[in-house]
Amino acid sequence: MQSDPLWYKDAVIYELHVRAFYDSDGDGAGEFKGLTYKLDYLKDLGVSAVWLLPFYPSPWRDDGYDISDYTGVHPAYGTIDDFKSFLDEAHRRDIRVVTELVLNHTSDQHPWFQQARSSRDNPRRDWYVWSESPDRYKDARIIFTDTEQSNWAWDMSSKSYYWHRFFSHQPDLNYDNPAVREEMWNVMRFWLEMGVDGLRLDAVPYLVERDGTSCENLPETHDVLKFLRHRLDENFPDKMFLAEANQWPQDVRAYFGSADECHMAFHFPLMPRMFMAIKLEDRKPLVDVLQRTPAIPPACQWGIFLRNHDELTLEMVTMDERDYMYDEFAKDARAKLNIGIRRRLAPLMESDRRRIELLNGLLMSLPGTPIIYYGDEIGMGDNIYLGDRNGVRTPMQWNGGWNAGFSGADPERLYSALISNPLYGYQVVNVESQRRSEHSLLSWMKQLIRVRKSTRVFSRGTMEMLHPLNHRVLAYVREFEGEKILIVSNLSSQAQAAELDLRRWKGTVPIEMFGGSPFPRIGDLPYLLTLGPYHFYWFRLRQL
Amino acid sequence: MAETAQLSDEFIRQLSAVGEVDVLVGIPTFNNKDTIERVVRAVQIGLTKYFHRDRCVLINPDGGSTDGTPDIFKNASVSDFEIMLTSNPLRTFHRVSAPYHGIPGKETALRTLFVAADLLRAKACAILSPTSLSVTPEWVESLVRPAYRENFDFVTPLYQRQKFDGLLVKGLLSPVVRAAYGARVREPVASDLGLSGKLARHLLDKKIWDEDMTTFGLEIWMTTTAIVDGFKIAESFLGPRIQPTPQFGQDLPGTIRQVVGALFKCLEMHESYWPAHTGSQALPTFGFQYDVALEPLKLSTKSILDNFRSNIDQLVPVLESILTPATLADVQKMIALPDRQFRCPDELWVKTIYEFAAAYHHSAINRDHLLQALTPLYRARVSSFILENAKAPVSRFDQRFEELGQEFERQKSYLIDRWNAKAGGDR
Repeated sequence: MQSDPLWYKDAVIYELHVRAFYDSDGDGAGEFKGLTYKLDYLKDLGVSAVWLLPFYPSPWRDDGYDISDYTGVHPAYGTIDDFKSFLDEAHRRDIRVVTELVLNHTSDQHPWFQQARSSRDNPRRDWYVWSESPDRYKDARIIFTDTEQSNWAWDMSSKSYYWHRFFSHQPDLNYDNPAVREEMWNVMRFWLEMGVDGLRLDAVPYLVERDGTSCENLPETHDVLKFLRHRLDENFPDKMFLAEANQWPQDVRAYFGSADECHMAFHFPLMPRMFMAIKLEDRKPLVDVLQRTPAIPPACQWGIFLRNHDELTLEMVTMDERDYMYDEFAKDARAKLNIGIRRRLAPLMESDRRRIELLNGLLMSLPGTPIIYYGDEIGMGDNIYLGDRNGVRTPMQWNGGWNAGFSGADPERLYSALISNPLYGYQVVNVESQRRSEHSLLSWMKQLIRVRKSTRVFSRGTMEMLHPLNHRVLAYVREFEGEKILIVSNLSSQAQAAELDLRRWKGTVPIEMFGGSPFPRIGDLPYLLTLGPYHFYWFRLRQL
Repeated sequence: MAETAQLSDEFIRQLSAVGEVDVLVGIPTFNNKDTIERVVRAVQIGLTKYFHRDRCVLINPDGGSTDGTPDIFKNASVSDFEIMLTSNPLRTFHRVSAPYHGIPGKETALRTLFVAADLLRAKACAILSPTSLSVTPEWVESLVRPAYRENFDFVTPLYQRQKFDGLLVKGLLSPVVRAAYGARVREPVASDLGLSGKLARHLLDKKIWDEDMTTFGLEIWMTTTAIVDGFKIAESFLGPRIQPTPQFGQDLPGTIRQVVGALFKCLEMHESYWPAHTGSQALPTFGFQYDVALEPLKLSTKSILDNFRSNIDQLVPVLESILTPATLADVQKMIALPDRQFRCPDELWVKTIYEFAAAYHHSAINRDHLLQALTPLYRARVSSFILENAKAPVSRFDQRFEELGQEFERQKSYLIDRWNAKAGGDR
């Protein structure tokens, strides 16, 4: 791999679950060998990095986010050597690899916790957060509201309470203990030395607790991140930290620090507002959240996404916005989970190809590194009748044949049922079918990614919002090193006209980037554009 | 089909940018710089609070204000919604300001709004007076909701008025509408009202817009047309109504000429409808009604009576062409009463109004002169009412006006007889 300390800025990241991607050994679940086998698909798609959901040893009570061994590979996914082989093959194809680091908590089956709970005198006792009563940290909210009533759980062994911000079987580590910090650095070093390119830091806002606070985003938490980042910069300058901090933009800003904490952070509040804007047919939610998004250090980058392995989170919206999103996107109450909606992109867009394209167009053109969730590039559906968030983690649909081409096992042995309904079923929605058509969603996504990667304006450029009178049209100009791109999107289900004030770019010729067609030169008059329903333009503004 | 010839290109451009809407609120203005900002802010909060998911637009047809009203309209804003509300609005707040062409006046403004409602396919509209000092965000919800969510077409307001405010409405306009059209519309000439998009488009298609509008009161026409054409009507309680300091008698002849003339004209327009109906129905009323203490209007019965007496003698020859001899004799007896005992009984008042209406219909004399002649008689009626109710609580007034309404209904057959009698007969 070429050395590039800012590689994450130009990346197009693909999030996937090893278990869900490809099963090469016929046991009904994917593993690293299978994933390695499918790297050419990812290369062909055009992504430049993959983010893997947890693959470590785990009792799998939270789909691997409950880790019982930070430096191993769950046998179901293969061995350390299988992972190394996958890593090498990915790098050979210029695909970087980002793995999960669940900093905040372990599984209650982790040896550390087993030791900690065995006795109050155990050396690992202080690796977790204990209390004689459940009264501490009262101001901390409960995150998994559907299943947890408290952030404290009673431990029968040591007759005391332990702190857990997530499931009760995921005790929080105690970052006030320097030993914990050192050990987590050791864990990081283990994977980074192996060649992993980046670490997604799961649940970082919750690392440290203090009474009288919300126990989120505390200064002490940032101290932990600075500590880890310092070690990273000293030893692995090309590697990246990606913070998962589901907070308002001004609070996420802190996780970049002064470029001395995380390199990237997810822009959670942006995501639901993309859906909202299209449903409302009004750019206001997007404009508002972008206006509230603070500037970040030049070496830092937002991570933007449409969907992921979790529910579409509605934590960072107002009550009215939440109600609206539920009413519009979760008409079936089963789609609601915690404070979110557990549906995939295509069902949320009611299989409307135009809206799916528009959202992906926004994903690829708004400031930030885009992250595609596996399966969304072919418009996979979901299954809200599966528990927890499993409905959006079903097997990848490779073809219309046996087990969707995912596995040779007996169908009953699959780790999850396939999506098989007439609209999104694997017989209809699959890679092989779409690979054969130039007009499929998959083919279109490849072209979109190709155009995105054709210039660094999208990945590194500034953004200037335009304000056409027509509120259904979102327009902005991205600029980097003199190159300018005009993006105009119709958020409405009806054709729209918009007059844009482009006098600042007077004299340039807009060249439509997908087809190469030149448009009339920009002059003094408002620039009139008409757009079909949900259509968007990307124009390179050229001085000709 | 909407007639767009009177809309400026800029206005059409702005409407095009807004696109289809669910709710349209209009505030027609002409030199209202002192009060417009408050109304705009109330509308903005009201739309955000009650219709935050709906596509809304606020339109200001302005008749050529020279005091900066349009600029105030454009710039009035609620800068921090979180103080007023729990959250920010979901949608872009559209505010369109455009002067309209044509004669400055309510009629042109309303037509502009109806054309806009048609172009934008608005489902419901509300029109608010630019001078309401007591307007609240809840007025928007009260006027829009019955049309937008409850399938009503015309929503008239119900106010809590100051004592002795609105006597022309309550003492003449409302009871005539009640008796003639069978609907107990308590505010038939209100500047604050709601209507469905369907009704707006229906009114727009009427030929009335091509007539000379300056002497016509559109509000009464809208009310009566809605009744006659079978639209569903409701009232909605808005609360206290406080206007910039009203002065009784200020351009009273002009007001009577306009609104009473409009009422009589409507009777003519609808003469195939109202004679056939008897009785009246109360309207469905929305909103929780409450009272607050309001300062009563300060009216001097002495000056009103003096004004009446000073003009009446000159008008007797005119009144002879309008009233029957019997009614005129009763009027003259009334003139002779000393101030303390001055009374204009309901029966006499109703008969007088009906005879004026019939005389208007028959064009017994020039209609403007006829209406002008009504003015002193109206002053007499007001004086009588004030003297009779000077010490009565406001709560008694509803009953009092109900009695008056029943008297208008009771004498409806008399109106029909006078209306159908030959011109000049029986005077």
